[in-house]
Amino acid sequence: MTACHAIRPLLPARVDELTLPEVRTRAEHVAACTRCAAEAAAYTRLGQALSAMAGFEVDPADGTLERILVAIGRRSVVTGPRVLAAAGASGALVATVVVARAVRHRRQVRHRQLLRSILRRPRVGRFHLPSLPAPTPALARAK
Amino acid sequence: MEVDRELVEAAQAGDRWALEELVRRTHRSVYTCALRLVGNPDDAADVTQDVYLRVVRKLGGFRHEASFSTWLNRVTTNVAMSTLKRRTRRFAVEGAAVPADTRDPAPEPAERAEAVALARRLEALVAELPEGQRQVLVLRDVYGQSTEEVANAMGLTPGAVKVRLFRARERLKATLEATEGGQVVALAGRRRATGRRS
Repeated sequence: MTACHAIRPLLPARVDELTLPEVRTRAEHVAACTRCAAEAAAYTRLGQALSAMAGFEVDPADGTLERILVAIGRRSVVTGPRVLAAAGASGALVATVVVARAVRHRRQVRHRQLLRSILRRPRVGRFHLPSLPAPTPALARAK
Repeated sequence: MEVDRELVEAAQAGDRWALEELVRRTHRSVYTCALRLVGNPDDAADVTQDVYLRVVRKLGGFRHEASFSTWLNRVTTNVAMSTLKRRTRRFAVEGAAVPADTRDPAPEPAERAEAVALARRLEALVAELPEGQRQVLVLRDVYGQSTEEVANAMGLTPGAVKVRLFRARERLKATLEATEGGQVVALAGRRRATGRRS
């Protein structure tokens, strides 16, 4: 049997906080050791008592409820599903318009850049006549 | 704290009366949870107000996958934890967290008196725990959140939560045994066996 000091850290834990081997070890030990069984039972009762506390309520100071109601009254109407849907649809519409304008602008910019690059591009592969020298005065006279 | 689904749906649809009724029915429970987490009445009242402001913003997104109470408890936990991160505690826990008026849901007079006494004693003893231990104990053992949920809410690892839980339970049990001879725990066990009311 596992020693009591090795089991003690496992006694306050809930079953879902332990690994399967730990659960098995604890169960085997508690079944054979009355002292640890009493400890485990005390922790179980404590857990039940704490859980029962969730059902108890404490009254806040006077005026707290009124303060909350005033605070939420100042806020806009609750965002219900329909309001959310409408907000989502209008958001999507705005997003679509913004994206469409951005795409159009980008296309225009690209188009302009393409035109510029074509105009600036050196004419490779075409036949160019060598530029003729400017006519000399004697040649001009002969014509 | 049980809330009709119809009431929640009406509040979601924008019914102002339904929203106010929702607040009226749940504000004590929210305040109690906040008080147990933050440890003093003034901060708990502020947290309660912030919870409902958040509820107004987020209620439209609530899909009824969990119960409204569970959802509201999570909102309360998150708001309380955010508040605690922003503020330092202004009051000592002693004397502040003991409720002035503890509501008892038990029907019979004898059981009612017993339950009120038990709640008072347990509230006081839990309030005396160190803040970190008290918070994990309240979230896990009082409100039944999973270790992972507590870890997420508090920004801790699940291992750290388990360590704090172990210390809190051990300390609470030792205090109970020292002051009450374990009788409070026995009473709680008996009350639990008779069933709970919200």
